[in-house]
Amino acid sequence: MSGLAHYFEDAGLATVVVALVREHVVSMRPPRALWVPFELGRPFGPPGEVGLQLRVLRTTLALLERPPGGPLVEDFVAQDFAPDDGWRFPAELDCGSVLAEAAAVMPAWQLARERLGKTTVGISGLGPETAVEFVARYLSPDPLPNPKGMAAVARVRFAIDDIKAFYLEAALAQGGHPSSQQLRDWFWSETLAGNMIREFQDRALASADANLNRIAGSLVPAERTFGYLRGN
Amino acid sequence: MVRLADIPEPERSVIAELNCPVYADTPPVTPGAAAERHVAIVSSAGFILRGERPMLANETGYRAIPASAPDGDVLCSHVSTNFDRSGFQQDLNVMLPRDRLRELEQQGEIGKAADTHYAFMGATSPEKMEDKAREVGRSMLALGVNTVVLAPV
Repeated sequence: MSGLAHYFEDAGLATVVVALVREHVVSMRPPRALWVPFELGRPFGPPGEVGLQLRVLRTTLALLERPPGGPLVEDFVAQDFAPDDGWRFPAELDCGSVLAEAAAVMPAWQLARERLGKTTVGISGLGPETAVEFVARYLSPDPLPNPKGMAAVARVRFAIDDIKAFYLEAALAQGGHPSSQQLRDWFWSETLAGNMIREFQDRALASADANLNRIAGSLVPAERTFGYLRGN
Repeated sequence: MVRLADIPEPERSVIAELNCPVYADTPPVTPGAAAERHVAIVSSAGFILRGERPMLANETGYRAIPASAPDGDVLCSHVSTNFDRSGFQQDLNVMLPRDRLRELEQQGEIGKAADTHYAFMGATSPEKMEDKAREVGRSMLALGVNTVVLAPV
């Protein structure tokens, strides 16, 4: 983002950068930047915090009022949010297979979809349960056919992200304010889907298929991989 | 909240030690008065509209995201494991605060929230995006935009 600021300013647009990694913005020297102390992926803070989002945006735009000078980097101050200790996944998921688990997640996801008024599932073009089956069978002797319009390796990569969105949206069916850490802990430690994706990553890494190798590094957070957990 | 320092290794070092390109200082544009600001958001979330082809890693292009697109039609095709998407799944404004921008317009704190916002693919070298960034710059100027908020993920 800092690099693009230079091009936009050069074209005659006034820019303000919101920065999540202070080191990068200091190094790349856009004219005006606000470093925010939020986790990566949340440049305007936690979801639903309208007042905080407005404060970030106002503070960002206020940098335009400063006297002209060298690159400006200011720090935004915000309090930490406490985890929601009362949050639990709203369904029993003691299932014998990942496909059965996905079916058990579905009612919660439908409820969450109504509650949120939207879903972010759909990047693969597959429905959630089909996405689970597509990944589960991808490396088997009997893979699901890949619909036209997207290379199979891209489809499986985006299907994995759709599965994560499916489960994490379902986790919010009854509201609550779980932290991203709580959601990650639950998905990667307690679901068969998380385990399936880890196994898929290991097999993709070992595959002779260069395209599979290429996507394999971006499926599981590093600290959740089997290799990391085994200490190698 | 997880700051860079709180991110477990090896992700933290990979992110912190990213080799950023070096830019000479760009003379800043003199901004107009707040009431004259026409503000667009440019994100690195790789946003697409539902049904569009997802953006791929290192893609240098961009997508235009109409401010009027329903929240559920804005999908994030930047699927790195290095950042959280559960916030975005609940509230688009976590990454693309277009509702907040409209509220600032309604309260007279800016002149106008843009009708179109833009998305590039994060983790792509900015030097490789220069041509497309300049193209987006020209598009924004043609639409009357004079101020850009750049939002990372």
